[in-house]
Amino acid sequence: MSALVDIWNVCWRELKRFRRQPARIFMSIVQPIIWLVLLGNMMQAVSQIPFFPTKNYLDFMAPGIVVMTTIFGGVFGGLSIVWDRRLGFLNKMLAAPISRSSIPIGKMIATSLISSLQVTIIVVAALALGANITTGPLGIVAIILIAMVLCLMLSGISLALGAVLKSQETLMVVMNFLTMPLMLTSSALFPANFMPQWLQDIAIVNPISHAIEPIRTITTKGWELAILPDVGIIIALTLVVMAIATLLFRRSIS
Amino acid sequence: MPSSIIKTENLTKIYSGNIKAVDNVSFEVEEEEIYGFLGPNGAGKTTTILMLITLLKPTSGKATVCGFDVAKEQAKVRACIGYVSQDTAVDESLTGRENLLLQGRFYHLPKEILEKRINEVLEMVDLTDRANSIVSTYSGGMRKRLDIAEGLIHRPRVLFVDEPTLGLDIQTRHKIWEYVQRLREEAHMTIFLTTHYMDEADKLCDRVGIIDYGQIKVVGEPNELKSQIGGDIITLKFKNETNSYANQALEEIKKLSSIENIAPTKESYNVVAKDGETTIPKIFEVANKEGVMIESISLKRPSLDDVFMAYTGRELREETGSKEDLMKERIRMRRARK
Repeated sequence: MSALVDIWNVCWRELKRFRRQPARIFMSIVQPIIWLVLLGNMMQAVSQIPFFPTKNYLDFMAPGIVVMTTIFGGVFGGLSIVWDRRLGFLNKMLAAPISRSSIPIGKMIATSLISSLQVTIIVVAALALGANITTGPLGIVAIILIAMVLCLMLSGISLALGAVLKSQETLMVVMNFLTMPLMLTSSALFPANFMPQWLQDIAIVNPISHAIEPIRTITTKGWELAILPDVGIIIALTLVVMAIATLLFRRSIS
Repeated sequence: MPSSIIKTENLTKIYSGNIKAVDNVSFEVEEEEIYGFLGPNGAGKTTTILMLITLLKPTSGKATVCGFDVAKEQAKVRACIGYVSQDTAVDESLTGRENLLLQGRFYHLPKEILEKRINEVLEMVDLTDRANSIVSTYSGGMRKRLDIAEGLIHRPRVLFVDEPTLGLDIQTRHKIWEYVQRLREEAHMTIFLTTHYMDEADKLCDRVGIIDYGQIKVVGEPNELKSQIGGDIITLKFKNETNSYANQALEEIKKLSSIENIAPTKESYNVVAKDGETTIPKIFEVANKEGVMIESISLKRPSLDDVFMAYTGRELREETGSKEDLMKERIRMRRARK
């Protein structure tokens, strides 16, 4: 019980910090909207290709932007732990009688909550630009939840690396290195069945695809049972990553 | 008999790379005592604190805080101690009050009690009127005060303070000393601090342990330590050295009861005396009688600096080199620690 309180306290601090950084809030909202507008218009012609899954490229791409934003938000989730270590705040928390695991878990949850805010805004913006979400409000809730799970996973990876690397410069480089390949080898911006076979193979094992597919099904097709395996995979992967991140963090402080 | 609230036996920490940061350290701190570790950067002070607050596992040896083993009963130790690091680790994006709130919640204080405590500690460090400002607008001294207040929020039995006044100006340092002293008087806390400022150890501590290269060289009350290395040092210079009267005067001075030793230096004489202040007029009297003029005379009380010198064979400088060197030293030590 007290571990839950500790998790909430760690999370509370991160959310407070986010609220106090207006530039960060502004950018986290504006950036995905710019992508939405730019990519949505630039790639509009793509939807003319025969057998393209949707009539409107925006319908296809909006889920992609949701995932993209989630990735960019999540991959830097581990930075705060590196900062806390450097500034001595980590030691201060560790000197208190709090659950050790609550520190990484609280930070992952905070990153995920912040990302859910961004996702909500993207969905609203996409709707305003004329995108369709066939499943309505309930579908929007489902999208946000899936994006939050994905964000937990990515911030878990980031945090695990942060615990091991202990330097923000290295962490930034490694996470930047991971971000684009993760994006481009998934079906986020382009349907997998248009890709060459080897890339399709990668797309299938890429965890990002397992988040994007159910989101896209929910927005463009409706409630289908086919989303369940993907959702199952993404939840299972996220739990494994969170466990590993927590373990690596605990090892890094002992 | 007063009980020991901190007790270590042959506490040792060897970092990877065979760096022996703390080497067989044994000491005891009594309840309601202000005990200080005095030593240069890299002497093993912070490493000792990190072991005592359970953040670092000792390589060998044993330590108990509040009667609990730091290696085996970590949760119990953590609940009874407060820690103020040398990093001044306050969250800049939160207000002072929010920092305290967060800290109090980490110690699981009930809401109503926490509310009261926050106001109490804010009052204690004179931050009440700035409590709702964001910490990034605070000065260095205010941040340190907030940091100390955070260490007090759960009323620990023992407060560990690592370099309480590192990088602060003189006035702020005096203020911080006042707060620390007030803590002991009002909150009946035991305080363990480390410092490389000898005046800080002198003014603030009931007992000082001098530490160098991971070893405790000597422990005692500052005054006792200073008097152990002899009396006051009077530096005396005659106006006309070649004057034969000078030698005779010196012989007469030697006969004064408070004089312990006279040693010639290049241009003057170093006179070691028990009570320097009353000895100086007597020296003048003798010189007058013998008809010698004194060109200059000065009195120096032994400082903990001299004590450090006596036990380690080297000088404890206030600042080791430039600010850059200090930074490098700290980063190097921190790297070794992690």
